[in-house]
Amino acid sequence: MESSVRIQEFDDPSYNPFNSDGVNFGEQDDPYMLIEKWRAEGSVLEGAYRSRMGLEAALYPDRKMFTVLGTPEITAALTDPKRFSNAGYKFNLGITFGDGSISTMDNPEHGRWRKIFQKIFLPQYVKKWGETIVDPVVHDLMDKFIPRGEADLIEEFTLRYPFEVIYRQLNLPEADVGTFQRLALGQTDYVNFDKAVEAGRKLGAYFIELVEERRKSPGDDLVSLLASTEDGGEYLPETVLISFLRQLMNAAGDTTYRGTSILLTALLEHPDQLDAIQADRSLIAQAIEEALRWDGPVLAQLRMATVDMELGGVHVPAGSLLDVIAGAANRDPALFTNPEKFDIFRERKPHFAFSRGAHICVGQHLARVEMTRALEAVLEHLPNLRFDPDKPRPQIKGSMMRVPHHLYVKFGK
Amino acid sequence: MPDIIVTTREGVEQTITAENGLSLMEIIRDNGIDELLALCGGCCSCATCHVKIEPSFFDKLPSMSEDESELLDSSDHRDETSRLSCQVVIDDSLAGMRVTIAPED
Repeated sequence: MESSVRIQEFDDPSYNPFNSDGVNFGEQDDPYMLIEKWRAEGSVLEGAYRSRMGLEAALYPDRKMFTVLGTPEITAALTDPKRFSNAGYKFNLGITFGDGSISTMDNPEHGRWRKIFQKIFLPQYVKKWGETIVDPVVHDLMDKFIPRGEADLIEEFTLRYPFEVIYRQLNLPEADVGTFQRLALGQTDYVNFDKAVEAGRKLGAYFIELVEERRKSPGDDLVSLLASTEDGGEYLPETVLISFLRQLMNAAGDTTYRGTSILLTALLEHPDQLDAIQADRSLIAQAIEEALRWDGPVLAQLRMATVDMELGGVHVPAGSLLDVIAGAANRDPALFTNPEKFDIFRERKPHFAFSRGAHICVGQHLARVEMTRALEAVLEHLPNLRFDPDKPRPQIKGSMMRVPHHLYVKFGK
Repeated sequence: MPDIIVTTREGVEQTITAENGLSLMEIIRDNGIDELLALCGGCCSCATCHVKIEPSFFDKLPSMSEDESELLDSSDHRDETSRLSCQVVIDDSLAGMRVTIAPED
């Protein structure tokens, strides 16, 4: 598609956003062991999650910080918006994605805009994208390595397909895709904050022009759809629309890339479960849920206390920032027996990987469609899938947004 | 404080004394029936609080919004008696109403 919109690269050509995981998320092999240790000390502990993990953390000297680890306290923090506000996100997401990001808002303002996004991402609608967009993307990527009988399923597949899905949903000009991905990933490189701000500004400028172009000549792409969808006569304000588009890469691409990587790694590490799914594709749905429970990408949400309160036996003053460790609830032995075990056959219970409450992941249904299609294609086209014995095993690392950077496999005979 | 009769997925009946002004979802969960999920916390942002309501009470319920209807459409178990229980507010006119928890999606 011919477009007059121009995307700008980073000023520093040597900057590589793909290398930002280590500094941002750390190299922890297993944060859950620390989480379990801390939880034994208390359901709510003073100190931010990142600091406790030994990572560089933003400092807020004017307020206290807490880490929430107990499941009842996590549930309360996510489902009681009167006491737990999303305003804390204004300090980070709001800066890089813009102050129209609904993640920074509370109801009723939040709900007013979320309703409009929600309509578009309902399960009955995203199902169609499975066929029209996800499948072709998955197959285009796989066609490149199927003939070799071996691949790095991260570099050649999971790192690429969710972003490619977004590019096609947005109908981005092909020439812009490389720069777009660099800017999109750079947006959340908070440790290199100047880069995050630069990326956010440039993506914002790009989307403002793209939205204007699509308003003049609407298509059947997601930008045109978002610009024209209304609920009860209300359209999305410009700032909310632009912030959402900026956030989409992180909320939809980054997360799905990591979630799918974990799913495939876990199944390869448990070949009996992989074989079971190969023989019975109806197990795919529960395998996805279990991967998300076991090691979903978004371990924590940020909330701000709106009032003084007692939480988990700890006094939390109004204005305190709380790292709500939803990933801790996913590994709560009171909810999930032997929670450290990846087991697709465990008793099915709702997990916290898409969070809870008013801000529950609006893209969850699309995430499931994408992960389903990716796994179906792996089962269909990569028979006898196994670790490549001549290459290193995958190492899942990070305090959150965990992922192995390589997954070397062989398949076929 | 009307009495509502709730039937679980297993077919177990429980009579609940409901407080006016709360949502049907809240009173069901507050009475320990936690198989009724409410993952979005009652914001009309999921379909996990899906219930079936006896038709004779329909005209006493708040009307269904398009948002609620589209969310119910995402359930495999929607029928003409379906409502999202977070959208039904309790008042005395609902005394004696029978509600069944919809099958899980």
